[in-house]
Amino acid sequence: MNRPTVNLVRAELHRLLARRFTQVVFVLMLAAFGITFATTVASTHTPTRAELVAAEQAADLQREYLRTAIVQCEERRAEALRTGNARFAEDCRSLDPNRVRLEDFLDGVFVFGESAGDLVYFLAAFLALFGLLVGASYVGAELTSGGMTNLLLWRPRREVVLGTKLGTLLGTVGAISVASIVAYVGGFWLLAEAAGLPGNLDAQFWTQLGLLCLRAWLLALVFTTLGFCLATLGRHTAAALGVFAAYLVLWEIGARIVLNVIRWPRAETLMFSNYVGAWLAKRITVYDLCALDGCAPYQLTLWHAAGVFAVLLALIAGAAFVSFRRRDMS
Amino acid sequence: MAAVIEISGLRKTYRSMRRGVRLALDGFDMAVEAGEVHGFLGPNGSGKTTTLRTLLGLVRPDAGQLVLFGREVPTALPQMIDRVGAIVESPQFFANFSGRRTLRLLATTGGLPDARVDEVLEQVGLRDRADDRVKAYSLGMKQRLAVASALLKAPELLILDEPANGLDPAGIREMRDLMRGLADSGVTVLVSSHILAEIELICDAVTIISRGRRVVAGPVADVLSRFDKGEFRVRVFDHVRAAGIIAESGLPVTVHDDHFVVGDLADPAWITETLAAHQLWVAELTPLTPDLESVFLQLTGTVPEPGKRHQVDDSVLPPAPRRPDADENELTVTAAEPEVTP
Repeated sequence: MNRPTVNLVRAELHRLLARRFTQVVFVLMLAAFGITFATTVASTHTPTRAELVAAEQAADLQREYLRTAIVQCEERRAEALRTGNARFAEDCRSLDPNRVRLEDFLDGVFVFGESAGDLVYFLAAFLALFGLLVGASYVGAELTSGGMTNLLLWRPRREVVLGTKLGTLLGTVGAISVASIVAYVGGFWLLAEAAGLPGNLDAQFWTQLGLLCLRAWLLALVFTTLGFCLATLGRHTAAALGVFAAYLVLWEIGARIVLNVIRWPRAETLMFSNYVGAWLAKRITVYDLCALDGCAPYQLTLWHAAGVFAVLLALIAGAAFVSFRRRDMS
Repeated sequence: MAAVIEISGLRKTYRSMRRGVRLALDGFDMAVEAGEVHGFLGPNGSGKTTTLRTLLGLVRPDAGQLVLFGREVPTALPQMIDRVGAIVESPQFFANFSGRRTLRLLATTGGLPDARVDEVLEQVGLRDRADDRVKAYSLGMKQRLAVASALLKAPELLILDEPANGLDPAGIREMRDLMRGLADSGVTVLVSSHILAEIELICDAVTIISRGRRVVAGPVADVLSRFDKGEFRVRVFDHVRAAGIIAESGLPVTVHDDHFVVGDLADPAWITETLAAHQLWVAELTPLTPDLESVFLQLTGTVPEPGKRHQVDDSVLPPAPRRPDADENELTVTAAEPEVTP
């Protein structure tokens, strides 16, 4: 970057971090994390020797039960196939005794390996909300307060100014998100080590958790960009938040009901929330109401989600930059 | 002198779903010479702020040419902007930032040292309140902060839109001295204001705009002289008899309660001589030169009339500028000679 751009980035970073709204939303996010952590601390304890022995015995019993169940299941499956009722043939793979773990039989014990995924979903939701709010208010407040006009009197290249603002915002939200993820995941792991059980933390677990955290981080950046660009288009923070709220109420709730009533085929593919879910979970299976009419459930994967995110961001960000470049500043 | 700002044939139309189409600038021309303080006057809604915003790249013109320091803007604005300091209307700042922090952010943006912030705070009289939050500032202090932000770059051209807004009398005086001082040091100042007495005191030249078109432009003295009717106010002991004596010579005379006014007078000594010949001794002989306010009101058709309330679009619509060989989008140059459109 050349020196003027560095100066602009420094000024924008200072402006973003000095904004009270950014600070308040950040503190609220920390508070949400803190409450989650405190609740977990309050509800976990280090298992005693007796609890561990009892849990191991219960796990052994469960494994034995599953071994028997598998034999019976295989017999029913073979019978169904022999009599030509293949659609009633059971899938016996779910009855796997190797999946039974001692942690499943411990009550009031936080097991990091079992809970980490769900905790990261929660983290992803808060990071996305943080990004949306800070992104929208950062540019929205500048547009309504005259701050942007002041800035353009110093830097008249609008696309550079808006691009630098967005870049600084993404860099900041990205850094805060990384720090939050490390602190959040690390905190719960330490908690499990100190007052719970780590669980089965093999290389595959850490790889999957790492990829989930990466997707949560990218999701936060997607929502940050959406908030920023919607506020730029609407020239106001409330425009972005209004569009978001209106989308949730009118489309995700209202349109979903209507589309289901008229049995619209694959209606769930039109809902952004499903792609958010697919992005985090890697794959979701969707059961439309049309399944009642015989249509099959279908899957949305993280690649579908990546495509939707890319198209949506390209459209909204493109519109925001074109609009900002051409508009008259009041 | 070289022109620092040259505007010719500037057109701007605002379109909105609710308010329809509004023509803000209609072939507007203006020239500002280097080193002068140039007043930019017009009734509310006449197009002053739109002109300044267009010049600063904040508003896109429909047609016309804008030249800043010899280079066309907005194309060359990024190269010129470091030479221009500006405030447009009442600038807003983040209420929770202090004045010093506000300026430091701008200085950082422009790659200027923090020491420059202290200099301009001193210059606009905010040194002792620099660390107060902007929300604690009065309107006048916010205006001083805005002027400070415009001065940060040590600009060669200073564009000030209503800089005296909210200033107390001392502040207005300081602003006047500041502008004059800057002009004396070679800075060109373009100032828009409704305080016409101030404009008359500090400006070398003026441009008056009405409903998006130029009404008059030129040195202040030239503009005023065009409205000078050669009138004098005469006070004398028996002013009715004295008025009759003067009227006998064919000059227009208007008698008031304790004085009379005589017009079309080339040499005021003639009054003294004529009345003295009739044993009438002149107590006061004052030239009634027009002031900028009366000229402005007359030129823009906004002279207050009893029982009539002027609306913002009631001002005079000057004739459209004639550009025989130019279509709407063609670049044109308008001579900057004084002209009056009554």
